[in-house]
Amino acid sequence: MDRRLPPRNGEWIDRSRPVEFRFEGATYRGFAGDVLSSALWASDVRLLGRSFKYHRPRGIYSLAGHDANVMVEDGQRTNLRGDLLRIAAGLDVRSVNTIGGLERDRLSITEKFARFLPVGFYYKAFHTPRRLFPFYENQMRKVAGLGKINPTNEPPCSPKNYAFFDLLVVGSGPAGLAAAIAAAEQGLQVLMVDEQPRPGGSLGWQWARDAVAGQHLEGLLEQVAAMDNIQLRCGTQAAGWYGDHWIALVDDKRLTKLRAKSMLVAAGCFEQPAVFQNNDLPGVMLGSAAQRLIHLYAVKPFDRAVVLAANCDGYRVALDLHDAGVEVAAIVDLRHDGEPTKLGRDVEDAGIAVHRGYCVYEAVPAAGKKRIRAATICPLDRDGTPRTGSLTRIDCDGIAMSVGWSPNGGLIYQGGGRFRHDERVEQLVPQSLPAGLFAAGRANGVFDLEQQIDDGYRAGLAAASHLGRFNGEVPDQLIHQAEPPSHSYPIIPHRGKKNFVDLDEDLHLVDFSNSHQEGYDNIELMKRFSTVGMGPSQGKLSNINAVRILAKLNGASINETGTTTSRPFHQPVSIGHLAGRRFHPQRRTPIDDWHRKASAEMMHAGDWSRPEYYRIEGRSREECIFEEAKNVRENIGLIDVSTLGKLWINGPDAVRFLERIYTGRFAKQQVGRVRYGLACDETGVIIEDGVVARVAENRFYVTATSSGAGAFYREMQRWAMIWSMNVTLVNATGHLAAINIAGPNCREVLRVLTDVDLSADAFPYLGLRQGTVAGAPATLMRVGFVGELGYEIHVPASFTHHLWTSLMQAGSQFGIRAFGVEAQRLLRLEKGHLIIGQDTDALTTPFEADVAWAIGKNKSFFVGSRSLDIMCRKPLTRRLVGLVFRAGQINSLPEECHLIIANGEIAGRITSIAPRSTLGHAIAMALVRPDLADVGTIVKIRIDNGTLIEATVTSMPFYDPENTRQ
Amino acid sequence: MKIINCPINGPRPLQEFHFGGEVRTMPDPAELTDQQWADYVFNRDGEPGVKREWWYHVPSGTWFIAERDNRTDEFLRTYLYNAERTDG
Amino acid sequence: MPHRLLKFALSKKHPEPRMFRAPAGLKSEYDAVIIGGGGHGLAAAYYLAKDHGITNVAVLEKGYLGGGGTGRNTAIVRSNYLTPEGVRFYQGSVELFQDLSRELNLNLFYSERGHFTLAHSPASLRTQRWRAEVNKHLGINSRVVTPAFIKETVPEIDLSVGGQQAPICGALYHPPGAIARHDAVAWGYARGADRRGVEIHQQTAVTDIEIRDGAVAGVHTDKGFIKTRKVLSAVAGWTTHITKMVGLRTPLVIHPLQALVTEPLKPWLNSIVVSASLHLYVSQSSRGELVAGASLDPYELISMRSTLDFAEGMSAGLLDLFPCLGDIKVLRQWAGLCDMTPDFSPIMGTTPISGFYIDAGWGTWGFKATPISGKTMAFTVAEDRDHELITAFNLSRFNRLELVGEKGAASVGH
Repeated sequence: MDRRLPPRNGEWIDRSRPVEFRFEGATYRGFAGDVLSSALWASDVRLLGRSFKYHRPRGIYSLAGHDANVMVEDGQRTNLRGDLLRIAAGLDVRSVNTIGGLERDRLSITEKFARFLPVGFYYKAFHTPRRLFPFYENQMRKVAGLGKINPTNEPPCSPKNYAFFDLLVVGSGPAGLAAAIAAAEQGLQVLMVDEQPRPGGSLGWQWARDAVAGQHLEGLLEQVAAMDNIQLRCGTQAAGWYGDHWIALVDDKRLTKLRAKSMLVAAGCFEQPAVFQNNDLPGVMLGSAAQRLIHLYAVKPFDRAVVLAANCDGYRVALDLHDAGVEVAAIVDLRHDGEPTKLGRDVEDAGIAVHRGYCVYEAVPAAGKKRIRAATICPLDRDGTPRTGSLTRIDCDGIAMSVGWSPNGGLIYQGGGRFRHDERVEQLVPQSLPAGLFAAGRANGVFDLEQQIDDGYRAGLAAASHLGRFNGEVPDQLIHQAEPPSHSYPIIPHRGKKNFVDLDEDLHLVDFSNSHQEGYDNIELMKRFSTVGMGPSQGKLSNINAVRILAKLNGASINETGTTTSRPFHQPVSIGHLAGRRFHPQRRTPIDDWHRKASAEMMHAGDWSRPEYYRIEGRSREECIFEEAKNVRENIGLIDVSTLGKLWINGPDAVRFLERIYTGRFAKQQVGRVRYGLACDETGVIIEDGVVARVAENRFYVTATSSGAGAFYREMQRWAMIWSMNVTLVNATGHLAAINIAGPNCREVLRVLTDVDLSADAFPYLGLRQGTVAGAPATLMRVGFVGELGYEIHVPASFTHHLWTSLMQAGSQFGIRAFGVEAQRLLRLEKGHLIIGQDTDALTTPFEADVAWAIGKNKSFFVGSRSLDIMCRKPLTRRLVGLVFRAGQINSLPEECHLIIANGEIAGRITSIAPRSTLGHAIAMALVRPDLADVGTIVKIRIDNGTLIEATVTSMPFYDPENTRQ
Repeated sequence: MKIINCPINGPRPLQEFHFGGEVRTMPDPAELTDQQWADYVFNRDGEPGVKREWWYHVPSGTWFIAERDNRTDEFLRTYLYNAERTDG
Repeated sequence: MPHRLLKFALSKKHPEPRMFRAPAGLKSEYDAVIIGGGGHGLAAAYYLAKDHGITNVAVLEKGYLGGGGTGRNTAIVRSNYLTPEGVRFYQGSVELFQDLSRELNLNLFYSERGHFTLAHSPASLRTQRWRAEVNKHLGINSRVVTPAFIKETVPEIDLSVGGQQAPICGALYHPPGAIARHDAVAWGYARGADRRGVEIHQQTAVTDIEIRDGAVAGVHTDKGFIKTRKVLSAVAGWTTHITKMVGLRTPLVIHPLQALVTEPLKPWLNSIVVSASLHLYVSQSSRGELVAGASLDPYELISMRSTLDFAEGMSAGLLDLFPCLGDIKVLRQWAGLCDMTPDFSPIMGTTPISGFYIDAGWGTWGFKATPISGKTMAFTVAEDRDHELITAFNLSRFNRLELVGEKGAASVGH
């Protein structure tokens, strides 16, 4: 049966574009503009989903995505909302969370056990005996959960947008449109968003029967269109508010991050359901859903309807249904005085029976519960008790509920607004709004159409005034004068326990009194115990009724009972949208390309990308690394050390400054000399090391570790400020590059390229010279991190490639080869140089790391000195030592961080190890207990298989202890 | 995202800043007992209220002081270290 | 179906009594007052009554039970710490947790899922091995595993992490790593304490603490003054409010930590997956939601606001690890407060103020310590001396510059 109505003004469907789609394996037709729910309902499909716990049949409820009844998946995407999913050719979806399909869902058996499964039942069972719980949990996990992930899905890439406006207006209903116009008239740049695909909000459905609504809509939209400074974006939800009006806007394609100067929420209300027996079955829906079906999608909601009303909106619904050809069997009005207005008379004129002071006691399901076939009504006492002695049954296939509203106030909460319950409108209204945040329309309890427009205009002016663009008087906010649009307690008890308060979680009225009985008697505890509001629709249709129920149980007011807070998001947002393009910036040295062309295996080193080693066909990683190292020892090697931090410290206070930053002394350092620099934090823990070179009397050039340089420079800047030092700090890390050339032949190679005198006397170890190398202006430092004769050449980054290739070329006859980070690590270990962060940890002091020699004698102060004073008076708990392994031991060697065990206790750990060194045996560094630190001590290290391996403590450096080679 | 007013660069998004902890004045280490020194090094004024804090604008390398309410995340004032106690 | 559920079907009225009473008013004097009705405070109350027979105890909670960190964490329990002190302490907690559903007769959904701490660099792998070795030494089931093992256990994972970052090169694997229903832990302890006579006063705020001659004399609340000689502060992210009242200086700074939850999904992720490099940890709850948390917010704040930066960064990280999740939707985000210490270990035990005991510094590791902190703090309050498992965590360690070296392992320590 086709439930489509004749074409009507303002309908959202495009009848010239029929769309074929599949649902649960069957083919249906709808029109472009239909959502899945409307297209199915138009095809007379009423069973659209199953509930989460009992798998009860569910149909259209809000038709606005305020409920989660209709959730489908298409094999790729899951948990799609039928109310929001636009149909398109090729759409092929199934309901989530069924076994055997929606129609015959085998999980609906759960409902038969409902009486065993009261609120919180899972806390009370399954936990003993303990060994059985994993089985039960597995079963429960299988029935819980909604959609299935598709593990083969490719990651999406949806670039994000940014937007900047004076004012964001959320909602394009009567209040929002008027607000945008008012603000724009004062010159504000206004962005207006609406989550629906077309503007107009309630003008399009709630007021559609009034000609004036159409005129308003047309007129307001014309004004908006005529103003250059209003941008309207439909199909866009304002998903969350964050500090300083940073707002997440989400549409089908992307996340847009909006920076607004102010925000105005005119997002209307969520219509709230009544609670009665079987109020969840297909055919029971919100009055607004019936109106959306009729006016937006031209679908006849029912054939014969009962309207449950507690406000004038219900009478409009009845008339809309009547006009759409639905036989309205009755209006059941919870109010004893009914609707004494023109609407009330119109309803009588239409011949619709009205039962005042009545409630719907239950919806009577047809067999299989997939439809309803009647409503049972009865008088309702003024205290809210249904008089079940006089039940009347009215045949119908639909019940439309119009009993009240609750503000769509999430953004207001998030923006710092607070709500209070106002008995004049029986709803929450803003109690306080922080500067820059405004509310308009139904959120303020303003329901009359003309007044909504006025309130919108007022709020728009208030926003303009806040931004200093309007100097006139902002009118006072209107106060609702008529009957409250919401009923104070639209909740009808029923012994059948199928009167649902939260449809997401299948919570019915008694679950609340039971929770209360168990002591969960404040809203937050009740929420957590019962899980009300925790489902996919986040309590949009359940929170306020839950508060009403709890208030009644506690004998307290709504305000005393309180409400829970609201957190982002308004509607769920996909991980893909939030992730965007996932930028991962990486730093590359100026000769990165060269490394890659030379078959470098690149590694991530903090932000940097560096050559780990250079691959050689047919050789293992270990062989490549070892040969690179060996070539440095025997011939000559070249390594790109551009990732080093490179800082200039200049000025009259440079020496004083450095002596405070580093542990060492620099006052007597000669120009042209380089010293080791060790830095601690205030607690005395080692944080940095590098070299400190004096380039001129008041000019120092220092290097820092690749990963620590940024933070070190930042802290230097702060100390310079605190100490009022006359120094200039320049971070030249990116501006300069550095190449280390090392090996017995390096002097021969370098000589042909530089004007610097390299002779041992003219340029001694730990000397610094400036000159040119291969034509590049260069600073050369003769340092020995790898333990061979070597020079670190620092040049402006643009010369790096030229310098590198010149060195490679000049060195070719000496067997020059590039070496990577791993070879360097091996070479430095042989030389006994520690690596901060590997051979030290977050608590290691210079005493423990055996670098106390780097602490200047008789220094009055450096960062960490006072803490070290204290620590040097305490017994040492560990020391960094060298270990050698038996020659020939290649297998069963420890790995870094294997533990040293003494008498069954942890007595240290390996910090660095080289299973194969150029010395011919394995060597390591270890932090050990001081009683094991004497040279010659044999320590035992436990390796993976649990056996203990012996090694002997030795002095460092392992290689060239006389320092004759560097 | 919050906006912070860098005294040099004006209002910039939070992402450009690094938090440097509360402003603490180091007493003369030579005058202190070990305990007093440890108190300076480790203990913090973590109580709720308006705090004087170090903030660093990363792209420009600017340290400055912010007075911020750690309950509301409201930045009341920002100024350069050597310009403190003067408005502007 | 367990027979326990039968009673619900057979009885006309809901057969469950109140979990905990709502005491009429405060008494004028208690043997001990516990500030904070979260998991830690309630557990301490429970063990004070059960282990030490001290039942004239008031738990004062300014909000509602478990409304702070207890209800906001991501419910992970594990003991694969780095320092022997940490491992022994948290192992004590794991052992209590394993039997806690039975002890409290409440199903806490304690679910051993296996816990991966992914390593994306040799340096990180080194730290994981260090932890594994210390763990093994102390009898903890914990080991370093290969990328292949990770892929086999969690086939949806992308070991290349999207290809733009350092790939996963191994992980610390801790099979007993578990998740639990965090709220229920608080409720279970509350019920157990309540049954033994402890009074739990919700919506009761402490306004000041009376100190006379360096000793606790009583507690001022918004509902009147209580005389007591013993006060335990167990308020985690609100500790600096309380220490201010007694003039106690601590290294604590408060940072928010944020988390999010997706829509419910059919079970696919059995393990708990942590990546320090991506600043995330994720597990799938028994309801089917993915629960994911981040590292600390980068600056101090005593407010539980949410940020979009977090949701964006977390989503990017999730997609890096699990490329198939692009269409899965985030339902809700929230924040909790973390009271951080310089060495990433708690501050527990006696203080310079006689009768004032502190249980704080819970950073990002508070939930998993709930049972053992309750047990050891109850001992400490009852005996007026630190329990042997927590001596290393005394506040005085900072005065002595003897920190606990947990920081190396806990940069994202969940």
